[in-house]
Amino acid sequence: MRGLLPVGTVALIFGVGSFYTAPSAGPGLFTWINLGGGALALLLAAASALRGRSDASPASRRLLVRSLLWVLVALIVAMGAEQLGRRSGWQLDATAERRYSLAPATRAALEALPAPVEAILFLDRLDTRARSSRLLLQTLAGSGVVTVRESDLDESADQAERFGVVSSNTVVLVRGNRFETVERPTEGSLFEALQHLGRSAERRVYVARGAGEGDLVRSDDVGYSGLAAALQTESYSLHDWVTAAASEVPADADAVLFVAPRRGLRQPVLAALERYLQGGGRLVALLEPGTHTGLEELLERWGFGLADAVVVDPASGPVEGDPAGVNPIVFSYAEHPAVAGLNASRMTFFLRARPVDGVRKPRPEDDLRTLAFASRRSWLAPNVEAVQRGLAPERPEDAEENYWPLLAVGRYPRGDREARIAVFGDSDFASNRYLRAVYNLDLLMNTLHWVTEREPAITLRPKALTVDQFPLTVQDSLSMFYGVGLVVPELCLIAAALLWARRRIG
Amino acid sequence: MSEPQTRGAEVLAEGLSRHFGPHRALRDLDVRIAPGESFGLLGANGAGKTTFIRLVTGYLAASAGRVAVDGFCPIAQAREVHARIGFVAETSRLYPDLRVRGFLRFAGAVHGLAGGGLVDAIEKTLARFQLEDVAGRLIGNLSKGYQQRVSLAQAFLHDPPLLIVDEPTGGLDPLQQEEVRHVLGEAAGARTLLICTHDLGEARALTGRVAVLHRGACVALGATDEVLGRGDPLALFRGQAEEAQ
Amino acid sequence: MRPWLALLRKELAVAFGSPMAWLTLAGVGLVTALIFFDHLRIYNQILFLYATTTMGGFETDTVPTYVNLRDQVFLPVMETLALTLVGLVPLVTMRVFAEERSRGTDELLATTLLTPTQIVAGKFAATYLLVALMLALSFIYPASSVVRAGLGMPHLMVVYLGLFALGIALASIGLVCSAFSTHQLVAAVSAYAVAFVLYDFRWTAQFLPDTVAAWIDPLSLHPRFGSFAEGMVRGGDLLYFAGYVLVGFALARFALIQARVR
Repeated sequence: MRGLLPVGTVALIFGVGSFYTAPSAGPGLFTWINLGGGALALLLAAASALRGRSDASPASRRLLVRSLLWVLVALIVAMGAEQLGRRSGWQLDATAERRYSLAPATRAALEALPAPVEAILFLDRLDTRARSSRLLLQTLAGSGVVTVRESDLDESADQAERFGVVSSNTVVLVRGNRFETVERPTEGSLFEALQHLGRSAERRVYVARGAGEGDLVRSDDVGYSGLAAALQTESYSLHDWVTAAASEVPADADAVLFVAPRRGLRQPVLAALERYLQGGGRLVALLEPGTHTGLEELLERWGFGLADAVVVDPASGPVEGDPAGVNPIVFSYAEHPAVAGLNASRMTFFLRARPVDGVRKPRPEDDLRTLAFASRRSWLAPNVEAVQRGLAPERPEDAEENYWPLLAVGRYPRGDREARIAVFGDSDFASNRYLRAVYNLDLLMNTLHWVTEREPAITLRPKALTVDQFPLTVQDSLSMFYGVGLVVPELCLIAAALLWARRRIG
Repeated sequence: MSEPQTRGAEVLAEGLSRHFGPHRALRDLDVRIAPGESFGLLGANGAGKTTFIRLVTGYLAASAGRVAVDGFCPIAQAREVHARIGFVAETSRLYPDLRVRGFLRFAGAVHGLAGGGLVDAIEKTLARFQLEDVAGRLIGNLSKGYQQRVSLAQAFLHDPPLLIVDEPTGGLDPLQQEEVRHVLGEAAGARTLLICTHDLGEARALTGRVAVLHRGACVALGATDEVLGRGDPLALFRGQAEEAQ
Repeated sequence: MRPWLALLRKELAVAFGSPMAWLTLAGVGLVTALIFFDHLRIYNQILFLYATTTMGGFETDTVPTYVNLRDQVFLPVMETLALTLVGLVPLVTMRVFAEERSRGTDELLATTLLTPTQIVAGKFAATYLLVALMLALSFIYPASSVVRAGLGMPHLMVVYLGLFALGIALASIGLVCSAFSTHQLVAAVSAYAVAFVLYDFRWTAQFLPDTVAAWIDPLSLHPRFGSFAEGMVRGGDLLYFAGYVLVGFALARFALIQARVR
């Protein structure tokens, strides 16, 4: 009778297994024999056990039942506690880069979603890389706006094809009939996908073209396609304003953007821009030193001081092989919504930038502010052309050391409307190579949000992972291996040998 | 928890039975062992002697009847019973990887000794059983005789009022047997002694009263001289009570 | 000394008094060190490949972000260590109860002031300490290397916590199997069987309906460890592993009591 328990268990396992793996015709004789026989064997074993237990005295039976009850209680408590723990959603993110702690921007993007989003993780079941994606999605799911499910890549081939999924560890965010596909998801890429899905009414930005401006289509290091993508992600639709032919700023423009114009702008264009601003228009200009396009004079009329010099900051060391100081790292900011959250540990940096100052308010009610500053030891180098060719800056004898500003903004109430202007003394910081370095993207996007009166969208975006890629040197690797890796087993072996010797002695 | 009696513990069995499925290892045993008494339990292998001991110590639970040590049930009031018991197993059931002193320290601690009392008890016991020379040696490296001494020593550490000894001289040479009997003889009187044996000479030497078990049933109970002195005592082992008389 | 502590001390003395225990520790530490060093060697070769002039090197950002010390070296070694536990812990636990029973010293323990609860607690605690030490010795080298390379200490501690949680869950399974056995081999084999079945249920997903698979998948040990390996401590996972301790404790206690009434 004692053998009935293991026999019955084996039969039941095979029966259940074959039940679920049965061909489409249904379970066969093998399944039913195992299920029935196994159940019968277990019943008989239980009856035998009970009969055997009846040989026990009442005190013994009480003891046994009590201990069995404790097992059941332990099981219930364990399961209940685990459920509670899971539902509470409590978690501690111990990763160095806070990989599973949502950035404020992501939280804001989730809150801004007009409808729930489904996140489908396509994966190969044995793909361990998907583990971190799973954890990230579960963190998103904690917001209550995102539901998560997993889908085997092989079993859901049709669905994968529909979403354009070609590899494991790919997430598809679905909202209604719209979806975004993200491969090897990180919080940053998921944030951008959520932004796309939750896109609110777009703001129209007209990008000036025709005076040698930076190309928002170009995707190499010196292009600005990254800027274009970021603008579109954050609900800006981009339109060309061809200054060579234009005479007015389009009436539906929410803002006009100049990215490093290099040639002189036509007078009608400058006049159109002036009219646009006087009517409460919005302008963002990324200017380079050494350029004279006419835009500088216009901006000076609006109170900006744009000295034609390069800000040299000795506190910033050499960057990218340039002479020291010509690429100032900015960690001083004013109190202003456009630079909210930026501080000494959330820096931005510019490359061969000109100073942008707020010199004179056109009207008393205007508000002119400088927002981002080089260090106190910075000074202005007048040999702009030489610096741009890579030569060292020349320091004039009377060079003034000061917190030279690199970004200034202005607010200009005009009737029942308000013009807003933001001027950067550099455009390279927004190029593809540098836009996503440190907090450059945040500075540019938040400034544009302020200019277009989208202050609620001002946020600090999730940063890309900064995991250590650099190798341990061969020397380090070997020293760790011999110094630590082998020492511990060696000490254990010595202990074993000593014990063995002592045991022989007795 | 009540204090153990100074002159031994009483063991009482009433209708005590133990079944292992269809096998009746012990049947309706009625016996009272008075405090301070030296009581022997005799019988052939498989008669039920070890089963009775295991019921007294609480290692097994009874199928029917009751057993009590000083009125305490070994199952329901295990702590009270174990505080009164020193147990020497049939074969040396020790930890070969422990040293003698370490093992005694463990044995004393799990019987409630601590601190200076434990240290004193260990030293006294080492001296009493002449184990000082081997106190630092691994139990596994000791001879069988020394291992049996260690087994006895751990049972005496906490000065229990009831000493249960199962086959104390099994496998020992005559000299070693004599040593063990000497120790047990000294222990008699100061505490209750319950000895399981199938050595008639040992029973005669160490016990005042015996019970003889055969296939789980008690076939004889009385003074040792009386039970073993009449006729053929081996007949009792064969379950032939009439022939024994 | 309290009886329970005396038992704990005895268990540790028996465990560490044997050369086999130290040989096992040495073996685990050595194997982990060699595996880690080999992963490191391969990782450096991959980086060297990227850093050649034909690939452009670090300056042109051609090294994918997923090629890094943590994902290519440290985490795979921790996965290997986790799997090693499945193979090793039953060997540690098989003797804990089964050896007492086969040797007969369980009868000795049963006549002491130790209750079944205390006996189980003492043996469980000693086994957990042994597992913790085994893990710590294996963990030192990989952890010290990646700390020097910049992986955060909190993340490392969480990984160790995960390994420890997995280790004590496996130990609990092994101790229950040992408590129900008189033979060490039976205890070990049954512990292996249960541990391997519970390790990962993903393979069943292709056979079972989604609802059933969704229900049993959270029972798996390995995915629960996975979140610790990624640097995340989740309340549900901690309580999941604690559940193994609780249920294992109750089952082992039941085994001791059931043996008296058998």
